[in-house]
Amino acid sequence: MADNKETEYVTLVSSDDFEFKILRSAACIAGTIKKALDPQSGFRETTQNRVVLSTINGVVLEKVCEYLYYNQKHAESKDVPDMEIEPQLCLELLIAADYLDV
Amino acid sequence: MIAGRGRQRIRPPRRGLHGDEIDFESTWDIIQAAFREIHTKNASRLSYEELYRHAYRIVLKKKGEDLYKKVKEFEKQWLSGEVRSSIQLLLSPNLLADAQSVGGTTANERRVAGEKFLKGLKQAWGDHQVCMSMLADVLMYMDRVYCQDHRVPSIYTTAMVLFRDEILHSRTSAKDSRPLLDLLSHVILEQIQMERDGDVIDKHLIKSCVHMLDGLHADDLESENQRLYNVSFEQDYLNTSRVFYRGEAESMLRESDAGEYCRRARKRIHEEEDRCRATLLESTTPKIQKVVEEELIQNRIKELVEMESGVRFMIDNDRLDELNLIYDLNARVDTKKSEVTRAIQKRIVELGTEVNNDAIAASQAAPPPAPAADGGDKPKGQAQEKSLNLQTAAAIKWVEDVLVLKDKFDKVWRDSFQSDNLLQTAMTRSFADFINSATFPRSSEYISLFIDENMKKGIKGKTETEIDIMLEKAIILLRYVQDKDLFERYYKKHLCRRLLMNKSISNEVEKQMISKMKMELGNNFTMKLEAMFKDMTVSEELTSGFKKHVEGLGDRDPHRIELAINVLTSMTWPMDTIGGPGDNDEDRRPKCNFPPAVEKIKRGFEKYYSEKHSGRQLTWLPNMGTADVKAVFPRVLQKDGSFKERRHELNVSTYAMVILLLFNELPAGQHITFEEIQAQTNIPHSDLVRNLQSLAVAPKTRILVKEPMSKEIRPTDMFFFNEGFRAGFIRIKVGVVSSGNKVESDRERRETEKKNDDSRSHVVEAAIVRIMKQRKELGHQHLVSETISQLNGKFKPEVSLIKKRIEKLIEREYLERVEGGEISSYRYLA
Repeated sequence: MADNKETEYVTLVSSDDFEFKILRSAACIAGTIKKALDPQSGFRETTQNRVVLSTINGVVLEKVCEYLYYNQKHAESKDVPDMEIEPQLCLELLIAADYLDV
Repeated sequence: MIAGRGRQRIRPPRRGLHGDEIDFESTWDIIQAAFREIHTKNASRLSYEELYRHAYRIVLKKKGEDLYKKVKEFEKQWLSGEVRSSIQLLLSPNLLADAQSVGGTTANERRVAGEKFLKGLKQAWGDHQVCMSMLADVLMYMDRVYCQDHRVPSIYTTAMVLFRDEILHSRTSAKDSRPLLDLLSHVILEQIQMERDGDVIDKHLIKSCVHMLDGLHADDLESENQRLYNVSFEQDYLNTSRVFYRGEAESMLRESDAGEYCRRARKRIHEEEDRCRATLLESTTPKIQKVVEEELIQNRIKELVEMESGVRFMIDNDRLDELNLIYDLNARVDTKKSEVTRAIQKRIVELGTEVNNDAIAASQAAPPPAPAADGGDKPKGQAQEKSLNLQTAAAIKWVEDVLVLKDKFDKVWRDSFQSDNLLQTAMTRSFADFINSATFPRSSEYISLFIDENMKKGIKGKTETEIDIMLEKAIILLRYVQDKDLFERYYKKHLCRRLLMNKSISNEVEKQMISKMKMELGNNFTMKLEAMFKDMTVSEELTSGFKKHVEGLGDRDPHRIELAINVLTSMTWPMDTIGGPGDNDEDRRPKCNFPPAVEKIKRGFEKYYSEKHSGRQLTWLPNMGTADVKAVFPRVLQKDGSFKERRHELNVSTYAMVILLLFNELPAGQHITFEEIQAQTNIPHSDLVRNLQSLAVAPKTRILVKEPMSKEIRPTDMFFFNEGFRAGFIRIKVGVVSSGNKVESDRERRETEKKNDDSRSHVVEAAIVRIMKQRKELGHQHLVSETISQLNGKFKPEVSLIKKRIEKLIEREYLERVEGGEISSYRYLA
């Protein structure tokens, strides 16, 4: 159980096996990912610093990652410019957001 | 595929997942298995995402409620099965036995058993918490969607409630029906009791258990005051503590003295504070403090203060630390510190009354033994003189005692009572109480005497700062005196004697004193005193002016008499003291016949004075003056065989000088009778007796010889010039009986008081008129209270006096009653 190695980056894996390495702090904006990586609980995700999200495909996950960074970047600023989201992605993004608790 | 589906139907997303059929039962099995793994701490093999996804799916399938119920069921089973039994294993017979009856096992065994139980419980609680937080994480989606939508508590809370119901409220064992919770409280209380008795316990352990209780609520609403800690434990704790401290207070009162009690009480208070911090919860601190304070202090402070070794003992033995402690304790329960204050006040008044009584005893016990011891052959006058001296000493002792007392309590106040303002006022009031107490009317006089004594002797050889301290002390006492007008009267009288007889050591210090009084009591008070000083300076100028004037006349008389004169303004000087004509006894005092030589110079001065200040009348007061007489005693065979003329300079009173000059014209060996002297000099009877006494009776200064030889002066006595007089010194001072400042005899005091009352009447009238002039119309009560407040700085007038003065003023038509008013009121008549 070589866990608790809190790396700076974590890996998110999409259903079609795209891997996204993003900042842990950004990833933890999403509630589900945060809980999955919670060092207190010691689930498998924690030991591997890797979260497989089998309900989300690569395209959506990419957008999610973009949003996470976007959220982190503008966390404390006002008059944030709107993020561009293609209409065809909207529904899936909503589902993903619901799932990830963003 | 997902993208395509999104394009086909734009509908609420959840319906979009209908396609994925999930079997609830099989999913639940997976989840259940995973939960079991979590409970047995094997979580690292599980994938969070997977479990989350399962739970997520179930909730999406609208099976949230089923899931919730299943989880609850699962937890219930787990707790009631695995956890409860493991805890019940920890309950050693020792512990259970103890819970039923105390005794049988040693404290140590009990402690160990208790600790084991607490440890187990803590472990179970900790595990449960960790597992439940993991479960809650996994079921996050359910919490978020199902629990919020349906307003049921989150799964975590539910699980905590389950822990309470299944573990804490479960029966301790099959035989014992009490819930585990009671046992827990009991064990904790027992552990705390052990700590109070000096054992070392695992504070951390208890603290965790307390935290558990704090985290749980008695009902499902989770309101703040329904925490298990507050409901089931804290009250118990407070109650047992109360019982414990009540017992302890009793035994401590019985066994130790007050100082020890205070020390222990304070220690207990600190202990409880520490305990709340280290073992229990901070929120209990004020409550337990209150319990301890109530039991150890509030209910006991009275006994404590009144104990044999209580405040009184502490004051008497200068136990400043203990006083500080008791003050501290009292301050905890009572911001007014009333008990300590009361004790201190009582003690001050007691000690003060003691000092008063000492003074009274010293001044009253003195006269009777004196004549008895001397076999009654000493003249009464001398015995009286002696008693007066004693009284004076008593007066000074009284002042010093009061000052010592004041110093003592000041120290106590500073060191033990943290310079508490309330206490200071209380102490000041107590001092004022006994100094002004009705049974001891002499404080004004005594203080003035004390100053007098110091002015005459006390300040000799002292540094300026020492003098300053002395003066300051006198002022402090003066501050307490209520009848300041009486003090003024005495002070004036004493000051007058000092000034006229040159008894005062330093004019500087006198002035300093007066300026101090001025600061303390205001301008009005010292105006007359200052005028007295001014008179003295003017007199000096007059004297030197007159001397120059006489020299200027060119009258080179070899027997010229030098005159030093003090002209006193009759308004400012206390005439009754110096024997001047009072208001109504203008002609009572007959004019003294001066011998021609003196009469001449007297007239010379009167002339000189009226030239300078026309319209003023001079009244001579020979009874206050002194004269230096150069006397030549003829050659008479002395005891030591010498045979020569002796010259002495006699410092005598003016009257004595007049008497002695009579003998100048007398042939040697002739005598004059008392009656003759009186007829020739016209000196008042009492003064004459006194002067003759000092000239003919006092052994050291027997310049005259009296026939028959006795201590008493009778009108038929004959006086001879004592040719055989001898003395060791050239200069001889012939003292006149009773010329210093002494305590007044009773008669004199009555007189002074009467005069004081008279002048008070005037002052009161003046105050009333002043007030009425301003107000025109005023109710009776108002007038009285205002008069009192106006005169407060001088004295405290009695209401009856004020009433009487109002009546008099109405009689004299300064005021009139307002007719028809409901309450009696007065109108000022211009």
